[in-house]
Amino acid sequence: MIQFKINGRDVSLDADPQTPLLWAIRDEIGLTGTKFGCGIGMCGACTVHVGGRATRSCITPISDVAGTEITTIEGLDTDSNHPVQEAWRNLRVPQCGYCQSGQIMQAVALLQDIPNPSDQDIDAVMTGNLCRCMTYPRIRQAVRDAATAMNGAQDNG
Amino acid sequence: MLKRFFLGILAVAFIAAVGFGVYTYKPAIAPVTADQHAEFDPAVVEKGRILAAAGYCATCHTSADGAPYAGNYAMETGFGTIYSTNLTPDMETGIGSYSQAAFRRAMHEGVDREGRHLFPAFPYDHFTKMSDEDVDAIYAYIMTKVAPVASEQTANELPFPLDQRVLQSGWKLLFADFGPYEPDAEHSDAWNRGAYLAEGVTHCGACHTPRNALGAEKSGEQYAGAEIDRWIAPALTSANASAVPWTAAEFKSYLENGAATYHGIAAGPMGPVVHAGVRELPEDDISALSIYLADKVGATEDDPAQSEVVLASLRNNRPDPQYRRELGERLYATACASCHYNAEQIEQGRPDLGINSATNLDDPTNLIHVMLDGVNAPEGIAGVVMPGFRHALNDTQITAIAAYLRDKRAGKPAWPDLANSVATIRAEAPVAH
Amino acid sequence: MGNKLISRMNNTTRSGDMTRRGFLVSMTATGVAFGFPRASSAAMDPAASNGIPIEATGDPFEPTLWYWIDSDGRVNVNIIRAEMGQHVGTAIARILADELEVAWDSVHITHVDTAEKWGTMVTGGSWSVWQSWPVYRQAGAAGRTALIEAAASQWGVDPATCTARDGSVSDGSNTISYGDLVAAGIERSFTEDELQALPLKPHSELRLVGKDVTALDIANKTNGKAIYGLDAKVDGMVYGVPLLPPTRLGSKVSAVDDSGAKDVKGYLQTLTLDDPSGTVPGWVVVLGETLMAAKWASAKIKVTWAAGETAGVSEADINDRSRQLIADGTTGAILPTETPDTSAAFDAAANVLEAEYVTQTVLHFQLEPVNATVFQNAEGMWEIHTGNQWQSLILPTLSTALDTPADQIVMRTYMLGGGFGRRLNGDYTVPAALASKALGGKPIKLVFFREDDAQFDSPRSPSVQKMRMAFDGDNKVIGMEHHAAAGWPTGVVVPSFMPKGVNDEPYDPFAIDGADHWYTVGAHKVRAITNDLANKTFRPGWLRSVGPGWTNFAVESFMDEAAHKIGTDPLEFRLQHLKAEGYNAGSAPNAVGGASRQAAVLRRVAEMSGYGATDLPADTAIGIATTFGQSRSMPTWTAGAVQLHVDRKTGQIDVQKMWLAFDCGTVVDPDGALAQCEGAALWGLSMALYEGTSFENGNVSDLNLGSYTPLRMIDTPEMEIAFVESTEVPVGLGEPGTTVIAPAIANAIHAAVGARLRHLPIRPDDILAALNA
Ligand code: FES
Ligand code: FES
Repeated sequence: MIQFKINGRDVSLDADPQTPLLWAIRDEIGLTGTKFGCGIGMCGACTVHVGGRATRSCITPISDVAGTEITTIEGLDTDSNHPVQEAWRNLRVPQCGYCQSGQIMQAVALLQDIPNPSDQDIDAVMTGNLCRCMTYPRIRQAVRDAATAMNGAQDNG
Repeated sequence: MLKRFFLGILAVAFIAAVGFGVYTYKPAIAPVTADQHAEFDPAVVEKGRILAAAGYCATCHTSADGAPYAGNYAMETGFGTIYSTNLTPDMETGIGSYSQAAFRRAMHEGVDREGRHLFPAFPYDHFTKMSDEDVDAIYAYIMTKVAPVASEQTANELPFPLDQRVLQSGWKLLFADFGPYEPDAEHSDAWNRGAYLAEGVTHCGACHTPRNALGAEKSGEQYAGAEIDRWIAPALTSANASAVPWTAAEFKSYLENGAATYHGIAAGPMGPVVHAGVRELPEDDISALSIYLADKVGATEDDPAQSEVVLASLRNNRPDPQYRRELGERLYATACASCHYNAEQIEQGRPDLGINSATNLDDPTNLIHVMLDGVNAPEGIAGVVMPGFRHALNDTQITAIAAYLRDKRAGKPAWPDLANSVATIRAEAPVAH
Repeated sequence: MGNKLISRMNNTTRSGDMTRRGFLVSMTATGVAFGFPRASSAAMDPAASNGIPIEATGDPFEPTLWYWIDSDGRVNVNIIRAEMGQHVGTAIARILADELEVAWDSVHITHVDTAEKWGTMVTGGSWSVWQSWPVYRQAGAAGRTALIEAAASQWGVDPATCTARDGSVSDGSNTISYGDLVAAGIERSFTEDELQALPLKPHSELRLVGKDVTALDIANKTNGKAIYGLDAKVDGMVYGVPLLPPTRLGSKVSAVDDSGAKDVKGYLQTLTLDDPSGTVPGWVVVLGETLMAAKWASAKIKVTWAAGETAGVSEADINDRSRQLIADGTTGAILPTETPDTSAAFDAAANVLEAEYVTQTVLHFQLEPVNATVFQNAEGMWEIHTGNQWQSLILPTLSTALDTPADQIVMRTYMLGGGFGRRLNGDYTVPAALASKALGGKPIKLVFFREDDAQFDSPRSPSVQKMRMAFDGDNKVIGMEHHAAAGWPTGVVVPSFMPKGVNDEPYDPFAIDGADHWYTVGAHKVRAITNDLANKTFRPGWLRSVGPGWTNFAVESFMDEAAHKIGTDPLEFRLQHLKAEGYNAGSAPNAVGGASRQAAVLRRVAEMSGYGATDLPADTAIGIATTFGQSRSMPTWTAGAVQLHVDRKTGQIDVQKMWLAFDCGTVVDPDGALAQCEGAALWGLSMALYEGTSFENGNVSDLNLGSYTPLRMIDTPEMEIAFVESTEVPVGLGEPGTTVIAPAIANAIHAAVGARLRHLPIRPDDILAALNA
């Protein structure tokens, strides 16, 4: 039995410890917002947060995350109104949308560590997330917008 | 912790020659029964718990899926496998029949209750430095808090005559320096407290000091760095290969959180040392350890954040639009930089690989281990993981990334034979910690 | 694709059979919009968190097949197109809502099931908006007319005195909502003539078309609720992974030994597929209780194959075959250009320019690997749950594979995690169906890991093109020839859909569109040649912008070469030949203005980019190119410019900025249009510089991102995109942006350092080689 918390909920999995976290999340726990793109840690579609840090779940076995706290796109914000999600909607970033859970989770992690990212910072961090629809110009702008919104919120409150 | 035990063939004859005689003989100490165990003060028991943790007793005395302290953890040596003993207070198979005196003798002299010499895989050469009071506290903890488990020790798989325990007395005669820690008046109380802990219960030298052909820590080379469990325990001396010097604050962060912003994280065999061990110590003790280690490594007071090396590494970390020109650089930009990129300053959760110990060591082993198998939740920053690329990237790709980091990020001479190291480490089964 | 082809595909007009069956007018008794049992679960609402479409309150008014209005005034629009990032439902529904005069927030969309009544279901060719425009406008106008008449008769007034707006009808003194009108019951039918005569709103009255509205699919794409094929869940389903044969065609399984897999926990069994449809010969599928059980087991199963004849084929072999076919003057189809016989021109030529262009194999690499979940439901129907772009094409194949009448098969079309043409070819559904059939209809989810997806891709075929141009003694262009050889997607998958050339040979329009350009060049011969070795080795695919993605690389690079040959500026040279004469003058409804509109976007992009500026730094230049998008029958006038710098030492290219200008007629969804053009242009850049694989031993050699390297964020240059304001017919925008980038880059490189690159992708080593040549 491997136990961890996902989106605030305790789960115990009776699965092979080598099972990639991605498939445990999707097929065992039933949260399908986290996607599968490459399976080798190079597209970012499967990005979740483990202990608050963006993590490629496709190459992370569940044995490695026992006892951790995991957040997926579904748990990012109860009303799906995280400032990053709002920025994404306002700019209509998604095309097919398949990469966007991972993009958003990556962007949230980016803004935690680098609240005022330069374009170079955004490029460096977000280049690990492939978007085959090539929504990159909008992702870039949405990260900037979210940063502004989040910094504004902090200043005000 | 010492999981690997070195024995040289040469040693056999040598030890045999000197190993006989009165020194060999140790009498048995009468067994006690369960009801003869004293009542223990809860404060002493708690202190024992902390010390047992700091000495990572459970790590070596617990097998992969066995009960805590029930023994049979397999320690591979070049000559065969040794299994650790059952430390639970079980009367038949554990140490339930040990009196306090028998336990002290084991810890201080490396002799079991029945008088048999213990293999130096058990670091009594360090525990001998511990005060009676501290040893007694561990005894109190084990006798009261560890659940007795009946578990026979698996027979060691050592060839004759290495399996002859009597030979161990000769080893002791040659190498063990028995007796409690002697404070050094040249240094502060805190330093001495740190030294007492480091040389005694936390037995840092067991991994960080190289061993001679007979498996003993080399005198005169304390903390010079060594290989342990197919990982590298870096030097804790001025020979330390860090890009920026350690500071006491960095050591403290490392020992408390498993991560030092400017050096790296506690992974591999060091993972449990921090997380199942040292971090249990009170803050004062961790500070003391840090002060001692900082002194050993020749630390400065400088703030690494202002170090030109760090600033240069951060600048160098900026993505190059021509990142595609080299395989390693391209793979790094697409598979690693999302997490390892830092902007103006280094965030603890985003290790900067230009200055990281793993890329600066003369040996790529630690870096390759982490690339292949990642970092699990109890290693490094607790609850945070790094994925492993074992099934994602092939040897050429892993080699290319490591070579890129070494050359372009750490700016150090290329590791010779890197590709071979990658292939070798991949071929070894990952070590369970 | 030509009008001819579309006619073949749709049997009637360019809008297909959409109009013909459209107007089954009157109240429907039940509001049942679907032809199948368990119907609602075979359709999809991208705005709902569970994907299930809304149900009408009360008896809805369903004036046509394409939508209903319920007594709450909610409008549900039926969409036959697949959603793969174009926000296609939002674009189409707004066309209808605009004519119907309803507020956007009362509009819902349903991506429908595959009942026969929906007609041909295909999403590709950038056709969706173009084909839907007349149909949904008419449908909206019919509803509006019926509602106004109903209100007028309630009030006893002349309908002409009533207006409809925001879901209500008013005559100045009375107002009634559509919902109330529907609740009261509406009965109205239109003859075909009445329909044709329905008044459509003038452009000036459009309230939703061309304006910003909320895309209905976007919110769920930011919170993990959008449901893709890979997310399909069916009770009791097991997982399957494929073991792919050594060749795409012609391999046979000789032995399967799964003894090594028996101790994998959760491993179920291994199936050797028996495929009556011939889609997946030599396939083995490994089943497990979990996906990883199947995957881990598959690594331990030994399959011995007798490989097909293409097991040794390489990219070079395919290209050599192309060259051989081009050299053999008897092969291929000659397209019906205005003056296809060029022999006289070339005989008379004072000067002839020739060049060969080669493009490498490209993978779709849509981010969601292909997958399908198949089972037989309680009513005995076969359900195919997947993302697909051409349901009407694959259902008959599935019918053969399952040995079941097509009307016993229904496909639920999920959101597509990227299409780009990959899912026009539904071949990946067949092994899932066969596996389920082998297990008596048990639900099976077949998942392709990325490496399987890449190996089983229908990639963009490698191509070889030979270009020739004849000049007279005054350097006037008097003839042009374009010989293009490649694998043909349509030839392989739907050969019956190929039109015939002037020499009566069939050709794949998708593999040659673009070569039949709008330049007036005297005699103009376009020769399309199918590469039989390519067609045997893999299944050539339609990949974003298809033929125009590579034919224009040749055409537009060659136009530059020609301009340089005669010492004219490339912009000037193009404008001189975009004369809008003869068959390049264009015709209504789709190509009004012809080449003059192409010249206009070209001028526009030259202006935007500052083309011709002389103050650029050393080794830096702007290159231009222009195309007509996808096909002569639906031209999207497109022009692009790219500014880049070439590092002469390393061959590295720094793409600094891209400009694009489009004339696509009426812009229906401005933000969606922009998004499509951004994505398409970046695809163009990616294929120009960064992606490309090659065949080795019968398969593509790059299977995942370790070695296949599409464009990423850091590679994304600044872009500026403009649309010409127009009230013409809206044409497609999904692909045209792709077509101009590669030639603009090649032209910019030439302008910057004088090296002419005739191979895609252009890698630094190619540049160094060209510089040193
Ligand atoms: S699926 Fe995990 S990084 Fe691509
Ligand atoms: S939106 Fe389609 S892959 Fe990013």
